[in-house]
Amino acid sequence: MSGMHAASWPGGGMWITVLAAGLAATYVWRWLGVLLVKRIDPRSPALLLVRAVATALVAALVARMVFFPSGLLAQTSLATRLAALGCGLAMWRLGGRKVEPSVAVTVAVFFILQLLS
Amino acid sequence: MSAEHEQGVREGEAAREEDFEERRGPYDWSWLIMGARKAASLPGLVMAMSFIGFGALLHSMNLPLAFGVVTDVFVWALPGQVVMTDNVSRGLPLLVTAFAVSLTAVRLLPMVVLVLSRARREGNARWPEYIAAYFIAATIWVMAEMFMGQVPRRGRVPWLIGLGCALISAMSLFTIAGFYLTGMMPKPLAVTLVFFTPSFFLLALVGGAGPRMDWLAIALGLVIGPLTHLYWPRLDLLAAGIIGGGAAFALARPAGRSTA
Repeated sequence: MSGMHAASWPGGGMWITVLAAGLAATYVWRWLGVLLVKRIDPRSPALLLVRAVATALVAALVARMVFFPSGLLAQTSLATRLAALGCGLAMWRLGGRKVEPSVAVTVAVFFILQLLS
Repeated sequence: MSAEHEQGVREGEAAREEDFEERRGPYDWSWLIMGARKAASLPGLVMAMSFIGFGALLHSMNLPLAFGVVTDVFVWALPGQVVMTDNVSRGLPLLVTAFAVSLTAVRLLPMVVLVLSRARREGNARWPEYIAAYFIAATIWVMAEMFMGQVPRRGRVPWLIGLGCALISAMSLFTIAGFYLTGMMPKPLAVTLVFFTPSFFLLALVGGAGPRMDWLAIALGLVIGPLTHLYWPRLDLLAAGIIGGGAAFALARPAGRSTA
């Protein structure tokens, strides 16, 4: 399909092996989730714990992108990232607690700050 | 507007009560299409931004586009795809790559449990759950929190499968678009597209937070995330999730067994 190949690119059958390994390495956790969910009572506190872990994990992802960004985002200033998120949270709190318009405000503020800087 | 909102809240509560009665019975596959349609939504748009970024990354690493598109279909979890792409381009041994990819995927387990516990029904073959789980990652968990309350229990697993199929197809196209569009965009626009991801996840978490435990988990994740990143860069998200989520659970769980 594409003519571009890195020097170390695996050839021929290695492709399939690499992809199969990626598939298995990822799906194993989803498969375990399906096995587990049948054993957990939907009303049990264990689900609250699972929910708290997933919530904290995604919050940590946000914090990592804001405080330790990689790639393009690393070329922007921390102040602009925090200011934009602050405006979005203010919009959420004051503008009827709606997610969509708050995200729109966040990225709009961020875009304007990038144009200015 | 507010009457509509209240109506929505009442319907949400009705759907939750219905949950317990509806936990047994066959699936209604007509919801497959409704799920596929939900791919065109704000979370779908945010996801598209991430996959455009993935296409751009492949281009910048001089990797074949076909490889990236195939990981969209077979791995379907962006952090794992990035790690895999990076390791393969550096020629690391397959076992090392598989282990690194698998570490990024541990986080999928709680998300699969959470989504399926609200979607599955007893008295069915389990294969639809294995298929639905194939599609579940962070964004679909958030989408399920946002939208699945409006789907009757009998339609939820088909809804997830329809949503997942539509998203994988669309994101493969966005990966291709990102591969070719990269470099053509002005920098402020390109960087704003990347910023969609943290903006959306933060507001979706805040918007979906109900009980005090949710707020604690968000706050602790935000504070602990940067710390774990400094100490365990490979396991930072998982460590922050377990420490922050565990602490939120311990601090805010309903007191005593009688109330649980």
